Amino acid sequence: MARESNQGVDGPLFKRALLGSLSWLSANHEEVNRLNVFPVPDGDTGTNMLLTLQSAVEDIKESDAAEVSKIAKLASHGSLMGARGNSGVILSQIFRGFARAVEGKSSLTPAELAAALEEASNAAYRAVNKPTEGTILTVAREAGRAAAAAAASPGATVPRVIAAAADGARAAVLKTPSQLQILREAGVVDAGGFGLQVILEGMLKTFEESESANGTLVTSRPLAQVASQMAVALPEGGWGYCTEFLIEGTGLDLDVIKNQIEALGNSVLVVGEPELVKVHVHTDDPTRVITLAGRYGKLLKLNVGDMSTQHKRILDDASQSAGAPRPNGVGLVAVVAGSGLVDIFRGLGVDAIVEGGQTMNPSTQDMLTAIESVSYDEVILMPNNRNVILAAKQVPGLTKKKVHVLETRSVPQGVAAVVAFRADRPGADNLAAMKAEADRVQTIEVTHAVRDTRSNGLKVKKGDVIGLINDKLEFAGSDYGEVVNKALGKLGADSFELVTVYRGKDASDDELAKLESDIRSTHPGLEVEVQHGGQQHYPFILSVE
Amino acid sequence: MKRSFAVVTDSTSDLPDEWRERYDIEVVPLKVLFGEETFRDGVDMSNQEFFARLATSSKLPTTSAPSPGEFAEVYQRLAKDHDGCISIHIGAQLSATAESARVGAQTVEGFKVNVIDSETVTMPMAFLCKVAAESASLDDATAAVKQRIPGCRVLALLDTLRYIEMGGRVSRAQAMIGTMLDLKPLLLVKDREIKSVDRVRTRSRAIPRMIEFFEADLPVEYVGVMHGQALEEAERIATGLRERLPDLEIPISEIGCVLGTHTGPKALGLVYIKK
Repeated sequence: MARESNQGVDGPLFKRALLGSLSWLSANHEEVNRLNVFPVPDGDTGTNMLLTLQSAVEDIKESDAAEVSKIAKLASHGSLMGARGNSGVILSQIFRGFARAVEGKSSLTPAELAAALEEASNAAYRAVNKPTEGTILTVAREAGRAAAAAAASPGATVPRVIAAAADGARAAVLKTPSQLQILREAGVVDAGGFGLQVILEGMLKTFEESESANGTLVTSRPLAQVASQMAVALPEGGWGYCTEFLIEGTGLDLDVIKNQIEALGNSVLVVGEPELVKVHVHTDDPTRVITLAGRYGKLLKLNVGDMSTQHKRILDDASQSAGAPRPNGVGLVAVVAGSGLVDIFRGLGVDAIVEGGQTMNPSTQDMLTAIESVSYDEVILMPNNRNVILAAKQVPGLTKKKVHVLETRSVPQGVAAVVAFRADRPGADNLAAMKAEADRVQTIEVTHAVRDTRSNGLKVKKGDVIGLINDKLEFAGSDYGEVVNKALGKLGADSFELVTVYRGKDASDDELAKLESDIRSTHPGLEVEVQHGGQQHYPFILSVE
Repeated sequence: MKRSFAVVTDSTSDLPDEWRERYDIEVVPLKVLFGEETFRDGVDMSNQEFFARLATSSKLPTTSAPSPGEFAEVYQRLAKDHDGCISIHIGAQLSATAESARVGAQTVEGFKVNVIDSETVTMPMAFLCKVAAESASLDDATAAVKQRIPGCRVLALLDTLRYIEMGGRVSRAQAMIGTMLDLKPLLLVKDREIKSVDRVRTRSRAIPRMIEFFEADLPVEYVGVMHGQALEEAERIATGLRERLPDLEIPISEIGCVLGTHTGPKALGLVYIKK
């Protein structure tokens, strides 16, 4: 028995541990999503981490490698290719650090496991420009430290090291609100950190089961909640359709709906309340999903995106622009969602569009595919969303092409940058000019709060109109015009000339007309231009310049 | 002292009135058509009247070149007291005017007309007229004008893309402006082509960009400022340029009806001939 409990972490065990993490995160990712600090309806940290982890284990499922190093390497590569969102990218760096630390090893002792966890955290810190405490980084570091302490104790075993890492992570997660004011104000812990905790707990469950099978159960942790590893439907061939909608009804049972939807696809997200449920699923058969959901109530905001054609569309775009090669040999790739915004970016000369942004952060792989599809060897990539920047920054290391990531944080910044692009100017000069333009433009985003919260010293009630200036929640109110005018006042409307209103998918003609007239009457010196954006969730995005 | 040869141009040269007298230049008007109504550019309709009508007209006007017969009349009249004529016209890529002049000239026997396709539009043509008027002979004038054609530049800042697009003289693709955004394009007319050299979202930022581009193109032999209903801005630009280039005259001229049909209101331009 003693021999069994000193079993090291080899390839098959690490593979099972990762699959255990995936099941556990799959079961809990909605919880992670709910921890969004901003009341904007884009809480997707859990989904992003889940998609990243799914990509990490994608190749592992087929592997029967005996060495832990081989499995770790597959996880590192897969997570990097599928990384979505900031937390997903950091997770991919954690896998990368782990893989480097275990290079050449077939099995890990408790001490080696702890050292690899510490190196994983170090790698994540190194990957981030300005590491912030109170985030997934802190949680990774504390997990590594706790693991090292456990490994140094007499009688250390692999399960004890992992248990210590999970406990260290949990303690660190609980402390995140004291480290970050935005978390404290919102009354939540850090979502990415919690996601990492869930991943470590998922691993721990695997190790404990493995121990349990050997009759050496070391913990009293209840295992009842362990989801079956098979419960997670992983993408098998094709990307299917990204299907999203709301169900409006009474007494809706989230668990029942979720179970049924999960049978029809993956990346399933079912959240909400008994009266209103939001569903997100990647499925090969959207009609079945819609028919099924329709039995529960009225479907709202139905949106089905064909992810399989995305790749093809990118290629089509590339061939369209191939007609007149640019003298500077520089291509443009932008991440953007919304029919109008896609047209605007295309019209300005962008060679390939990666559809995504606020609701669906594209993966590093999506961006890489788009860049490879462009007929230029030098490419400027515009993420156009703060949550896409980190994933975008992974791309240059993955291609032979010269890729510049222009860190545009919003649609208005992206538009300003593309407008400044000139085909007769070399890439580096263009980049400088585009960055200067992006920095000059101010962004106001208008949406509705998805729950009550306090943020940035502001009390917000669910359903309130909220206004963000350059990503920061600044105003709440009951009316679009009121919130926008306050935001324009704060920016100092007199020093600007033009307001471009990008109308979202859900904004009505009346709302648009009223907003326009509200802006004109309060700020008569500003020129107001309205464009169809078609973006989701944000009825209005405004560019002020 | 009277010149032995005449200097003729068309109304798209936007020749300042003062130069017309100073250099004794004959201007043949193109036509602007608002629906069924036809106006001779600068003759039947002033620039003010034109832009006022442009602002209220539901349909955009169209333009047309003078007929060969109209040119023939002018050449016949000039043949009485000149022994030749240089006739400097809007670029053939933009208008049939030069071709019309050539055909008209063939009908006037015994009078030598050197028709010049300036390859450009607006005030560089006026500068070429000045060059011709100051030459000693028709041959000298023709040589001096031809020599300067490759250096002619029109840098135009449009307030909107609407008019130039409707006018069909430049495609959105050509100007790299295929977008629904109301951009302020900075266009350059050079070597028979109109292309976009930059595009900017707001007017206040576009003007310095235009001046920057011009300064990178120095030295110049002639330079002027053009405007359509934007005199104040044109004066500010000219004042700045005069400080920078004290040896040059730097006239300000107004965009006429025909050119205005394509630029729309509030257009600004820097026009010059490179040294």
